[in-house]
Amino acid sequence: MFDKVLLKNAEIPNAHGIGAYEAAGGYRALATVLHEYSPDELIQLVKDSNLRGRGGAGFPTGVKWGFVPKDPALEKYLCCNADESEPGTFKDRVIMEKDPHQMIEGMVIGAYAIGAQKAYIYIRGEYVLSIERTEAALKEAYRKGYLGERILGTDFNLEMFVHCGAGAYICGEETALLESVEGRRAQPKLKPPFPVVEGLYGCPTVINNVETLACLPHIVQRGAEWFRGIGPERSPGPKLYCLSGHVRKPGLYELPMGISLRELVEDHGGGPRSGGRIKAVIPGGVSAPMIPESGLDVAMDFDSLAAIDTMLGSAGVIVLDETACVVRVAKRITEFFNHESCGKCTPCREGLDWAVKILRRLEDGRGKHEDLDQLERLCGSIFGNSFCALGDGAAWALSAALKHFRDEFVRHIEDGRCPFH
Amino acid sequence: MPKLTIDGKEIEVPGGLTVLQACELAGVEIPRFCYHERLSVAGNCRMCLVEMGQAPKPIASCAMPAGDGMVIRTDTPVVKKARQGVMEFLLINHPLDCPICDQGGECDLQDQAMAFGVDHSRYQENKRAVPEKYMGPLIKTIMTRCIHCTRCIRFATEIAGVEEMGALNRGGHVEITTLEKAIDSELSGNLIDVCPVGALTSRPYAFTARSWELRKTNSVDALDAVGSNIRVDARGREVMRVLPRLHEDVNEEWISDKTRYACDGLARQRLDRPYLRKDGRLRPVSWDEAFRAIAARLDGLDGGKIAALAGDLCDAESMLALKDLMAALGSPHLDCRQDGAKIGAKIGGAGPRAGYLFNTTIAGIERADAALLVGTNPRHEATLVNARLRKRFLMGGFRVGLIGAPCDLSYPVDTLGAGPETLSELAAGTGAFAEVLTAAERPMIVLGMAALARPDGAAVLHLARALAEKFGMIGEDWNGFNLLHGAAARVGGLDLGFLPGDGGRDRDGILDGVHGGDIEVVYLLGADEIDMARLGPNAQEGAFVIYQGHHGDAGAHRADVILPGAAYTEKNGTYVNTEGRVQLGRLAVSPPGEARADWTILRALSEVVGQRLPYDDLGALRQRLVAVNPVFAAVDRVEAAPWGEFGEQGKLDGAPFGVAVENYYMTDPISRASETMASCAEVFGSGRAGEATGTDG
Ligand SMILES: Cc1cc2nc3c(=O)[nH]c(=O)nc-3n(C[C@H](O)[C@H](O)[C@H](O)COP(=O)(O)O)c2cc1C
Ligand code: SF4
Ligand code: SF4
Ligand code: FES
Repeated sequence: MFDKVLLKNAEIPNAHGIGAYEAAGGYRALATVLHEYSPDELIQLVKDSNLRGRGGAGFPTGVKWGFVPKDPALEKYLCCNADESEPGTFKDRVIMEKDPHQMIEGMVIGAYAIGAQKAYIYIRGEYVLSIERTEAALKEAYRKGYLGERILGTDFNLEMFVHCGAGAYICGEETALLESVEGRRAQPKLKPPFPVVEGLYGCPTVINNVETLACLPHIVQRGAEWFRGIGPERSPGPKLYCLSGHVRKPGLYELPMGISLRELVEDHGGGPRSGGRIKAVIPGGVSAPMIPESGLDVAMDFDSLAAIDTMLGSAGVIVLDETACVVRVAKRITEFFNHESCGKCTPCREGLDWAVKILRRLEDGRGKHEDLDQLERLCGSIFGNSFCALGDGAAWALSAALKHFRDEFVRHIEDGRCPFH
Repeated sequence: MPKLTIDGKEIEVPGGLTVLQACELAGVEIPRFCYHERLSVAGNCRMCLVEMGQAPKPIASCAMPAGDGMVIRTDTPVVKKARQGVMEFLLINHPLDCPICDQGGECDLQDQAMAFGVDHSRYQENKRAVPEKYMGPLIKTIMTRCIHCTRCIRFATEIAGVEEMGALNRGGHVEITTLEKAIDSELSGNLIDVCPVGALTSRPYAFTARSWELRKTNSVDALDAVGSNIRVDARGREVMRVLPRLHEDVNEEWISDKTRYACDGLARQRLDRPYLRKDGRLRPVSWDEAFRAIAARLDGLDGGKIAALAGDLCDAESMLALKDLMAALGSPHLDCRQDGAKIGAKIGGAGPRAGYLFNTTIAGIERADAALLVGTNPRHEATLVNARLRKRFLMGGFRVGLIGAPCDLSYPVDTLGAGPETLSELAAGTGAFAEVLTAAERPMIVLGMAALARPDGAAVLHLARALAEKFGMIGEDWNGFNLLHGAAARVGGLDLGFLPGDGGRDRDGILDGVHGGDIEVVYLLGADEIDMARLGPNAQEGAFVIYQGHHGDAGAHRADVILPGAAYTEKNGTYVNTEGRVQLGRLAVSPPGEARADWTILRALSEVVGQRLPYDDLGALRQRLVAVNPVFAAVDRVEAAPWGEFGEQGKLDGAPFGVAVENYYMTDPISRASETMASCAEVFGSGRAGEATGTDG
């Protein structure tokens, strides 16, 4: 049995209060860091742990921090990405609702590492309870001297603010998030310059996911080696998996990185709903291409999933059983992306709109065989050509559905109706 | 200097370029829609994708800094496919109404579709339609044609400095919008040039001509003293539109709305034949009769009783011809400062050239680090100078102080005070802005005509000169002393000495002389901005007035003889801008009716009055121009002007500085005749805004 790390406190009633957090050893890592580590040593520790970002791309956290210019004259910012809008994803929410201090402690540690004196938590607007709990926790942390001036008697100062989103998925993209914090229309910005060099208000800025930051107190407390020992060496650590869809026991699971997808779905999730058989699984939120049942023996880590042309993403694992119509699923997902496309770049704005129109016809049974080639061509024109990963992800996910389940699309065309509904 | 390999060819390029620019240097053309040299990089259209080294996806070349050792390919199947894909996407919702689109023939989308598009559409779905937006009397929108490149938004926010354009909604529903009111900027017409498609087009020009039927003439603008480089597009004898022409040191690639849109005024209220006042009424006459009437009035008249005033739109050639004629007639009374600005020495000409030029030069503004504006609103008096000031402001580290009527210049300004008193205090070194000027390495001062066209103007000029010296504005390679002129004719007039000669009278002297009976004949060369009442009600109770010009404006109304001349688009003429830059305006259409190029009128008149001017063609007249002042030989070259003494120590008045341009849209006979300018004046004058009409009109 794997000992929970990130969700350890979540079961305790009222764990979101600072008392319970401190009683469970909270904020001790912060004291250690402030008294025993220089920022560079801390960055090295995180590099040694091989912690990779849990926001989707799996970028090594220590390496990202290392890119921040050391110039003390520059103001620096840390932003916690709590926009969690990827369909099928509900892990950051649980941390914020049940154990917000874990995130806050991680943020203070991260801010210390990069020399930030201001930090923002960008929370998805619909997460009302998360916002409430995080705000309350911030007040507690200020009161206890974990935030504010001269934290724990050192000369490290940090101010932390909550910034609420208004429901746009694109705000989770890091540069759009920064635009939104600055009060502008949330659209991705050009890179380079990367946010670590020129981010919020033109200053070096690190953006990390909630779960990434929540790992930090544990790495400090238990060491890089311990962390690296959980799961695959290159992609290690405890991991939150959001299991949903046609499984018996949907929910949030904390398990090691690299656990097999089949084990996750069949053992922990209890397998498909009664009588059903699994058709496909989306392993990392709807941007991640779906895997047909035959591929479920893959390890759930960044590299293994990339090797089979999909991704760990936000670890939102969505199970589809045989009753699911892949055409409808593909249509719904593409509709989502089309709705959330910020409209900035041509391929995503025009291409997804076109794809949705075709998919709606196909689902209704008004499709033609040429439509499938056209969809494939469309995906090819969007993927790799769009401004940010939203367009790429949308095209990637759609082409996987077409590739693995082309026969279902063809049946819709030939039957002139949906064979499932 | 990074070295790149572009399509197999090695090339070294200057630092700071993008891959797109490097490709251009390598002679490889990259298609683009959103990229615009003078705007921030957006990278949104994705037309400029190229392949870079081992990068997994194509990159947007407009947004990627060119780096040493980069290997760029623009000719691969991936690039070709990407371009075709983008092109197809841009066209699916585009109405493809090119035959009725005013952009047709000069549309980036049309051109690139020819180069990269396919000949048929695979798009079987419904196209989207986008509601039009109201942008005021100058710009017409057909938003369904918009390709969302955001050039317009970037132009408005960055160059014009008005945050009045933006995007609404998301995804396929994105709409470029305004605040549903006219764009509050004198640069708004440039939006139609930056728009790569026919989404934003010229409202006055709508459906009047196709670009390929137009005859194009390169010229310079005469409606302010910037000397913006323009292209005049004409069909037959009509000027259809005016467009900007690139001049990095003057207008870059922008022009002001008046420069662009006043051109309909060229066809209205024109003087197209000579007139003579008989029994109190102006009657059409022949050239000969008009000339003979003048000769009769001058016959036996002492030259000292004749005077001449030159207006704001005059070319240097005609001013010189009139000056020479006045000299031949024995009159020393001439003045090119119809606003009464106290520029130049009281006697003995214009004084040192640096005393009346914008010495810093327009491009030089970019090197300044502080500016003091005195009695000027550059936004209205010289829109493109103001655009340069804003550009400098955006570069950072630039403080601007203003003494005069408060105004919105599209960048922050410290309003220091209202009149000469504040200027003296500052010159004495008091006040916070004195510290700004002291700390600045290259400070500049800009004196507007509102500071000089007043009784104490010469004293203000003197004080400003002292202030410039005190704050180190005059140095080896820096001259921060500037006059901002509003009249295209002014610097040329000063350069050739269209000023009172020995014992001569200036504008006020002439007008007072009429009142006192000392001046009997006044020759107005396009001078419409003086107080005509001071010429007396008619030739019997006032002066005999000869008006030579092109529009039936104030001067023509008072005139006893009208000699119809040519507007700036109808003659070859020399203009000197506020920097002292000599530029040539060119004939784009011939003058209407019997009207003629102005210098030829004076040449013909000189014969009739028995004082034949010694030049038979424009070449000879231009030689004489150079003889009078060699600066006229240096076309489009600005050389540092010698510094010296100018202005006059004197008592300063307590009155605040006024406003030189009351109504930006109506400053001269041409813009006053323009219906387009009239509707702008209405929209922007009356608390502006205005509502959408929702029609094509
Ligand atoms: C369209 C889009 C949406 C995203 N949404 C989120 C999100 O909701 N939460 C998140 O942490 N990262 C999201 N990301 C990833 C972020 O851009 C960024 O990579 C991440 O926050 C970095 O944190 P990490 O290094 O800790 O993973 C999104 C990316 C894209 C392209
Ligand atoms: S890919 Fe989509 S979401 Fe991303 S910038 Fe382009 S339009 Fe916006
Ligand atoms: S209106 Fe023209 S300039 Fe503005 S976004 Fe649309 S196409 Fe671009
Ligand atoms: S020109 Fe580069 S993306 Fe538009």
